[in-house]
Amino acid sequence: MGITDLTSMAEVETEARRELNERLLRLREEASYYCYQCAKCTAGCEAHKLLELEPHRIVALLKRGLVQEMVNSDIIWTCLSCFKCKERCPQKVAPVNILFALKNLAVASGKEVPGDYTAMLTSAMGMGLIQDVQTVTTRGGETRTREGLCLPPISVPTDPAKFQMTVMTVAMEKV
Amino acid sequence: MRLGLFPGCLMPTEQYGYEISLRKVLPMLGVEIVDVMDLSCCGEPLKSINQMLTLTLSTRSLAVFKKEGLDALVPCPMCHLALSEANRIVKEEEDMARRLNEKLSAEGLDYDGSVALYHTIDLVHDHIGLEKVKDMVKVDLGSPDMATHYGCHIIRPTELGRPVDAENPQKMERILEAIGARSNDYAEKLDCCGGPVLPVHPDTAVTKTGQKLQAVQEQGFDGMVLACPWCHKMYDSKQKKAGETVGAKLEVPVVYLTQLMGLAFGIPPGELGLDLNQSPVERLLQKDKEGA
Ligand code: SF4
Ligand code: SF4
Repeated sequence: MGITDLTSMAEVETEARRELNERLLRLREEASYYCYQCAKCTAGCEAHKLLELEPHRIVALLKRGLVQEMVNSDIIWTCLSCFKCKERCPQKVAPVNILFALKNLAVASGKEVPGDYTAMLTSAMGMGLIQDVQTVTTRGGETRTREGLCLPPISVPTDPAKFQMTVMTVAMEKV
Repeated sequence: MRLGLFPGCLMPTEQYGYEISLRKVLPMLGVEIVDVMDLSCCGEPLKSINQMLTLTLSTRSLAVFKKEGLDALVPCPMCHLALSEANRIVKEEEDMARRLNEKLSAEGLDYDGSVALYHTIDLVHDHIGLEKVKDMVKVDLGSPDMATHYGCHIIRPTELGRPVDAENPQKMERILEAIGARSNDYAEKLDCCGGPVLPVHPDTAVTKTGQKLQAVQEQGFDGMVLACPWCHKMYDSKQKKAGETVGAKLEVPVVYLTQLMGLAFGIPPGELGLDLNQSPVERLLQKDKEGA
């Protein structure tokens, strides 16, 4: 089981897909019952102006069961996960959670993982953090390292092989 | 107060100014910071890929804290959100807790939701207390007017129990008053830094950063203060780029709350990692000279 399995789980992950579909079904029932399309979520959405995300439309599409259409669309990857929609919905609907489930389903369906996520995932599974220690520059242009700044060693999994086993098996078993 | 440090990813790998100032300032206020080994990413940055992965990573790290018998200092709002959610799920969802624990047992770990979490802001405001902070102040900062930026994940979602109010956060403002700075509310105060879409829409992310910084600059603030490594990466490390995207020359000094506290406590800027800030923070230092 490798990192590639996590990012392109097309065949192996029928179980994961089933779980995600079940989760979306629950979210759909909830949305159908509670969301009255007031669009308060969209009014405050951080991705609305620049990226044209309209969370109330995401909820409306889910109500109509158009999951596959959304999974295939790039729009789900515009959410900034700022949680304003969840915070401000008068009906306690959480478009942000619908978007997380849709993105997870897109990945579990073997869609290409967009942007830098693959690198972050590979690093997190490999050494424990989404990136390794960086050399930085001061405002004056001098370079500094973590060590040079007298900071203690970073905290990462002491037994990477065991860590990978724990994390990967759970992640694979139930997405 | 003795707390284990949950550093997360960004602070220990590039946002050194936060870590340096935190390690300097909090012990002066009676907090002993303990380094905890064997931790990992909290998983929140990977939640779009796989939520179960996020939950597993968070729970595993919390189990390490339980084993060490320590509560956690979590300086990153995003980590604080992930760990809070893991705490809630382990406490409330029996089935899930059992499944997670089965897996953790392979590493000799187990978790029950018992580790308490502290972010920098609530640790200082609620637990250390403003009186103690005031007692430490040695230098007159010259009362700079600082725009506060909290970071989405330390204020929302309320339902999960966040340490700061979602719609009218004021704890940083009170801390600023205690150290001799000021803060006026501004319309864009709750706007997101743009950081979370950096992996997918880098240009839009930086545009959001630029828009807020421009608003802060135009309203005449002396600087911006924050307590999130992701937001600092956007507002400080990427300020120049952000200015280019909105067509403005941005010169907003951006500092970590702990850096500003350190200055007020009389710690030399070099020992607070202030030379690592890319924004023109020397203006704040001049300000404290003017005021002195
Ligand atoms: S704010 Fe809530 S009820 Fe209103 S449209 Fe959005 S999800 Fe539906
Ligand atoms: S969490 Fe996503 S959908 Fe909800 S308001 Fe923020 S950017 Fe919009």
